Amino acid sequence: MANPILQVRDLRTQFATEGGIVKAVDGVSFELYPGESLGIVGESGSGKSMTALSLLRLVPEPGRVVGGQVLFRDQDLLQLTSEEIREIRGRDIAMIFQDPQSSLNPVLRTGFQVDEAMLAHGKPKNQARARTLELLKKVRIPAAESRYKDFPHQLSGGMRQRAMIAMGLANAPAILIADEPTTALDVTVQAQILELLADLNRELGTAIIMITHNMGVVAGLCTRVLVMYAGEIVEQGPVEQIFANPQHPYTWSLLKSMPRVDALRHERLRSIEGMAPDLLRPPSGCRFHPRCPFRIDKCFTNEPQLEEVGPGQRAACWVTMDRARKEMGADELKDIRPGAGSNVHPGEDR
Amino acid sequence: MAATAAAVVTRPIAPEQASLWSDAWRRLRRNRMALISAVYLTLLVVVAIVAIFKTPYSYRAVGVALPYSGPSAANWLGADILGRDVLSRLLVGAQISLIVGVGTQVLVLAVGVPIGLIAGYYKGVADSVVSFIINVFYGIPDLLVAMILLLLLGPSLNNIIIAIVATRWMDMTRLVRGQTLALREREFIEAARASGAKPLKILFGHILPNALGPIIVQATFGVPAAILFEAFLSFLGIGVQPPTPSWGSMASDGLAAIRIAPHMVLAPSIALSLTLMAFNFLGDGLRDALDPRSRR
Repeated sequence: MANPILQVRDLRTQFATEGGIVKAVDGVSFELYPGESLGIVGESGSGKSMTALSLLRLVPEPGRVVGGQVLFRDQDLLQLTSEEIREIRGRDIAMIFQDPQSSLNPVLRTGFQVDEAMLAHGKPKNQARARTLELLKKVRIPAAESRYKDFPHQLSGGMRQRAMIAMGLANAPAILIADEPTTALDVTVQAQILELLADLNRELGTAIIMITHNMGVVAGLCTRVLVMYAGEIVEQGPVEQIFANPQHPYTWSLLKSMPRVDALRHERLRSIEGMAPDLLRPPSGCRFHPRCPFRIDKCFTNEPQLEEVGPGQRAACWVTMDRARKEMGADELKDIRPGAGSNVHPGEDR
Repeated sequence: MAATAAAVVTRPIAPEQASLWSDAWRRLRRNRMALISAVYLTLLVVVAIVAIFKTPYSYRAVGVALPYSGPSAANWLGADILGRDVLSRLLVGAQISLIVGVGTQVLVLAVGVPIGLIAGYYKGVADSVVSFIINVFYGIPDLLVAMILLLLLGPSLNNIIIAIVATRWMDMTRLVRGQTLALREREFIEAARASGAKPLKILFGHILPNALGPIIVQATFGVPAAILFEAFLSFLGIGVQPPTPSWGSMASDGLAAIRIAPHMVLAPSIALSLTLMAFNFLGDGLRDALDPRSRR
């Protein structure tokens, strides 16, 4: 594979709150290759959005990136001056947000806002205008000329998200970060937007970082996926492999709790019991152990590191699903309850 | 939610609902008091401009009529203590009032908008300093600040405007700061930042347009407050200096002769009241028209 376009090393983002320090992103490392589409999945509060915002140094107060490196084209984005990082934003790395309703300025005309994304990086006004019309057509907004003059509230939700994507692509960035871009849209529009992103990824070679809680979105768009839990990456690898053979119990649980059209009628949809951990006081050992069906004694005290579990696949787990299947009857398990597997077939000396 | 639902329902019926401004104009036109006020104020401005070139008599010509004489065909609003024509003086007074009213608000905007934007957007030390100064100014009585400034600077029209701005800039600054604090957390500001917009662009191109409605309303209410304050200063004798007439000093002159020549008090007082009322009605109308929640 070619050299990575973005290398994130040991990224740490923390929030100083009255109750103490919240480690929202705790030692995240990954690479992004040119033209690839990388998914970052996890529940709310797993740190996936903060990871994305940290890359562009857009973490809201009182949050701060406290450590690590974000290498893009041989420079560490975390070391740039605020003017230098401003030039990277939108030009080399663009970002689109969850709610297209609130991420467009309500009092400015839609087309003008796309213009502005280019004007901010020094493109002359008449060129920007022509490119905006081209972009609006590219993201399949019908009647682009008249939509150019519309205010955001005159557009539908899907159309607004298309306009946001046009804004993101305005400067032909190398990387497009999409933070849950389909969450606020209804299902048919979601599919259209994902298809659009996949086409743009293919045609323009823009690398996409797709942040989502929806495994289905990952399956549809991404080639590689990172699974985050409590501010850490717990598993990563090629999408087919992760879906076919997840090794971390959390990934396995996420996939089990995903509704599927091809599921058998009698098969129940399972949810993961328990709640996402309080990051002010993260659990000892493996952070997933309080909710893990297959925990063993070691999980309570020792923190596992990411280790090779298959070709290109890495997971941070002392047990891994291969063993849980063999020894703990994972495939017959009815509920994803804490300790469910390890209690039926106690592992090790528990 | 109800507002959005209503908007969706009304859209096919009112397709001309294009922007905040055309919407606001449509609502303002339905407000009769605001409309009458706007017409009155337009006339006042026209009259004040005409009065620069032509008044029935010179405002400073003494003895054009008998001192204290009441309204007559030659002097519609009578004459004052020196036999000067009250109508001519009233018209010139209108110029003074409008210059003071509009001039102070222009300066208040020039001071309050940038300071409020910066304090609200950057927060931290800048905001603490601005908030502290605002509180200090609120703590000192308006009249004291104005009197001290006028004593130091001397009572000219420019200095009166400066003195009034010194007592009135805080409201606008606080309003803009508050609006900015709320707007900076909105997602479209984050989106603008993520697209590489410069800080000045975010302040004046994204935040300010969204705060324009409340700012316009505040400025509209600020005009009558400034006119009243000028009248008050002139009434006390530290405002516009004779022989230049001001509605305040005219009322003050007339007060001494209220038993024999009530028209000397009534003419400037009624003009002042009508003008203040008109600005307040217009401000109310603008507030209702620019409030997106009051969809009518």
